[in-house]
Amino acid sequence: MQLSINNFGTDKENSIATQPQLATDLCVCLDLVAQHKDKKAFTELFHFFAPKIKRFGLSKLNSDAMANELVQDTMTLVWKKAHLFHSSKGAATTWVYTLMRNTCFDTLRKIKHKDEISLSDDIWPTDAEEALADEADFKDHLLNEKVLSYVDNLPLAQQSIIKGVYYQELTQEQLAKQLGIPLGTVKSRLRLALSKLKQQMGDKYHD
Amino acid sequence: MINYHPTLAVLTAFAQGDLEDSISLIVASHVQMCEHCQQEVAKLTEAAAEQVFEQDNLEDIEPFKETTSSSLNMALSIEMLDDIMSLDVDGTAEQSNFKEETLTEGLKHLNQHNDSYEDALNQSNIVSQNARIISHKDGELPLPRALNSLNAAPWQGVGKVSRARFQFNDDERRLSLLKIDKGGQIPQHTHTGIEITLLLEGSFEDDMGRYQKGDFIWLDKDHTHSPITQEGCVCLTLVSDSLYFTQGFSKLLNPLGKLIY
Repeated sequence: MQLSINNFGTDKENSIATQPQLATDLCVCLDLVAQHKDKKAFTELFHFFAPKIKRFGLSKLNSDAMANELVQDTMTLVWKKAHLFHSSKGAATTWVYTLMRNTCFDTLRKIKHKDEISLSDDIWPTDAEEALADEADFKDHLLNEKVLSYVDNLPLAQQSIIKGVYYQELTQEQLAKQLGIPLGTVKSRLRLALSKLKQQMGDKYHD
Repeated sequence: MINYHPTLAVLTAFAQGDLEDSISLIVASHVQMCEHCQQEVAKLTEAAAEQVFEQDNLEDIEPFKETTSSSLNMALSIEMLDDIMSLDVDGTAEQSNFKEETLTEGLKHLNQHNDSYEDALNQSNIVSQNARIISHKDGELPLPRALNSLNAAPWQGVGKVSRARFQFNDDERRLSLLKIDKGGQIPQHTHTGIEITLLLEGSFEDDMGRYQKGDFIWLDKDHTHSPITQEGCVCLTLVSDSLYFTQGFSKLLNPLGKLIY
């Protein structure tokens, strides 16, 4: 099977209209990034999206430097959040577009209103799980990041429990209230998640 | 049944992130309540994405050809890529070779992903239902999610009308919750700017119609109205700071005007 992703954005003959394959390829690349942090797949995504994000950024932000920043910020989100993309929910292009639009919106807020609060996630909610996993709280800890990469492999329901308890340091009662689920469910999900994590990390370290 | 929606032009600008921040907040609040507009916004977002990403006409755009500084040059691209991918911490860097196996596995995962998506969806519904609650003197109500990060000042009232203003940085417009008690009325008024109202609870009527929960009403300077409510209502309002009402004359004659605007 020959994958045509090498031609993203470079081969004009294979434009989207004549190549329904493209949408699938983007999804496959995103999934490879999500599952394996596959660098080749990400590079393909970058070559496809970056020039277009740049063009979008120039039209909205009116500055070359800020447009470059938009490319970097958006593609960083693609790299980090690929696991939150679900092909059943819509096209890969739509997903990347929402990341780009939201980042751009918050950037403009900073410029226009000197306002650091980012509102875009409240205005266009993509996934309520993201709100729980406030990355700012733990991004500087290398070990946490390492653990987090395993946490990210858990089912989302379990992820939110782990992140709530260990990163946001909520009590199990608080978390139950916040998620609107019974305390017992929090406890059982936590148990499940921990045993899965243990298993994964054990596998890794005994390789 | 919601009868009053933002126009297609407003929804399009909303989906593209082109509305003023404060207007985005009130439109988002309506969209959260309105399944019809959710579907519209989803379609419009998809269309916007197609326009940006799937029309492969980058090389046709002259400015990109001419000024190399404005396009994304190769060196910068490589630097960015390295930067982003160095965020990788789980040591799978050596997997950069595309193999057929990897691909098949990838596809397999893709399917598994879809299965767990149902779970995630259920989960996120639960979370979003768990809204911030704001109380007023006759009860309480869940706040639209778009307002999650904003603080509201305490309620202030005159007669049957009270409001709680959101602390939000917009020089031209003010975002507030407006509560009118049972049988309350706002005297006939007009404004120099815009007045957007989203009905969160209860109902009211004015010269133009009767409005219910979820209705989104955008008025401009051409409209004059005097809303009245039988059962009482709570609205989210966005009003431009009208020159007319900030001048001494109307402040003296109409304390209500000052309260609302």
